[in-house]
Amino acid sequence: MSEARLVATDVHVKIGDTPILHGASMSVHAGELLAVVGPNGAGKSTLSRAVSGLQAMEQGDVRWGGTPLGELKGRKIARLRAFVPQRAPVPAGVTVREAVELGRSPHIKAFQRPTRHDHDAVDQAMERTNTYEFADRRLTTLSGGELQRVQIAVGLAQEAPVLIADEPTSHLDLGATAIVARLLRRLADDGLSVILVVHDLALAAAIADTVVVMAAGKTAATGKPAEVLTPERLSDVWRVDAELDDAGALRVNWLGR
Amino acid sequence: MVVTATVALLAAATASMILGAVHVPFSDIWQSLTGQAEEGPLRQIVVELRLPRTVSAIVVGAALGVAGALLQGALANPLASPDVIGVTGGAGFGAMLTLLVWPSAIALLPVGALVFGVTAAGIVFLIGWSGAHAGAIGRVILAGIAITALFSAATTSLMVAYSDRVQSAIFWIAGGLSSDGWSSLSVVWPYFSVGFVMAIFLARPLDRLALGDDVAASLGGRPRLVRLAAAAAAALLASSAAAIAGLLGFLGLVIPHLVRLAGGTASHRFVIPASALTGAALLVAADTLARVVLAPIELPVGPLMVVLGVPLFLWLLREAV
Repeated sequence: MSEARLVATDVHVKIGDTPILHGASMSVHAGELLAVVGPNGAGKSTLSRAVSGLQAMEQGDVRWGGTPLGELKGRKIARLRAFVPQRAPVPAGVTVREAVELGRSPHIKAFQRPTRHDHDAVDQAMERTNTYEFADRRLTTLSGGELQRVQIAVGLAQEAPVLIADEPTSHLDLGATAIVARLLRRLADDGLSVILVVHDLALAAAIADTVVVMAAGKTAATGKPAEVLTPERLSDVWRVDAELDDAGALRVNWLGR
Repeated sequence: MVVTATVALLAAATASMILGAVHVPFSDIWQSLTGQAEEGPLRQIVVELRLPRTVSAIVVGAALGVAGALLQGALANPLASPDVIGVTGGAGFGAMLTLLVWPSAIALLPVGALVFGVTAAGIVFLIGWSGAHAGAIGRVILAGIAITALFSAATTSLMVAYSDRVQSAIFWIAGGLSSDGWSSLSVVWPYFSVGFVMAIFLARPLDRLALGDDVAASLGGRPRLVRLAAAAAAALLASSAAAIAGLLGFLGLVIPHLVRLAGGTASHRFVIPASALTGAALLVAADTLARVVLAPIELPVGPLMVVLGVPLFLWLLREAV
């Protein structure tokens, strides 16, 4: 496999006095879709924010293309990774195109005008996410699924080699979830590295190349979905009697009988 | 929108120079301003009274418009105005302290308003940008409400203690410009300048902030620093405005809304300059009207502006999609 674009080792994070992460690790390569799964409060989102530089670390080693995260500030880190948050505010009076254009900020200096290439990157980001057709609509008029694709388009306009999406599907219906899932898979197939923080294990198993299981602030396992999401681990980490069947569906014994 | 606001501002400024207790023909104004006029009362009225008053109205109107745009952007809250970061409460206290306790030192009124306005905002920032959720919107707004309450209570106490002098303070509370030449503006112009320059640099960072702190950080920005800088610039502008023209809070709240509704976009690269133009135009127009309607009696500008602005604002609100 190619050299890793991101390597995070032994990440520790405290928020206030509460330790959230104590020993989490992950790495991602070109064209790889990495799903980070785990129960609520396991530290999935915190890990994705810490490696992105959005959350201060207490200790740990995070390197982007070999360069320590601490040396990457502002525009530098913004050109290496795009972070798509779980739930972003929806400002009034902003169109889809205006929002996606903001994704170009890491490439445009203060008081500079966007170049031809900036406009092309914005168009391309909207085309890849199928948001071009409503480019001139206001964000406030979009559905949840459309908004989520716009958020991804903002990240794509950054033209960073790694896209980190924090639970992009958690508020979406089945159809909208499938659209986002296919989109992320396609982006990885095109060579992007995608880190997807996700609750839905069946979804993770279906689209991810690699799964990182987080439990109680630590990485419990990393590997291919079928190797990692075993009935034993589902029982250990999630406390449920469940298994992934050969078709990739998650079979859960809901009532525990 | 920008063209309309510019034309309105020019028209209002011209009217402001011509109209008043004494009518000055346009040709005399032109000659006075270009230095061709002979010494005389008309030239004196233009250069020493009308010009500084018009310039003050332009600067104060622009400052309040920009302060409102900065705060509404920084706090992602359409209800934000200089009130919410304590500026109004602080400036009001500073002015009352001068007017009621040391009426002989009335020349210090702009200094008092400016110093206490900035101090109140400073305390709000100290509280708002400390602790685990430093710089979070809710924390800043709550700190602002608490500090405003504190300064308002202090102001009320002063008014009770010196109730015999309150009469002299009412005009300041109502808000309005005076014909004291360049003296106030000469004290506070550096603070206006710093505030306006900061606003120019903050337009793009505030656009990123509109998509949320996480997106702003993803794009390489520092959302909490941007919010602090925008609030600080707004505090400087609003305190300086209060130092010259008293409490005209309505402008700061309404102008950015008016601009967004009329302009059809919320981009700060449009909203900030357009708020400056519109705020200036509205204040100059209102000040001119206030001088003319019952001349030689001057009406207080604050209430008059509200009377003018509210119908316009409500009409736009109805038209908005």
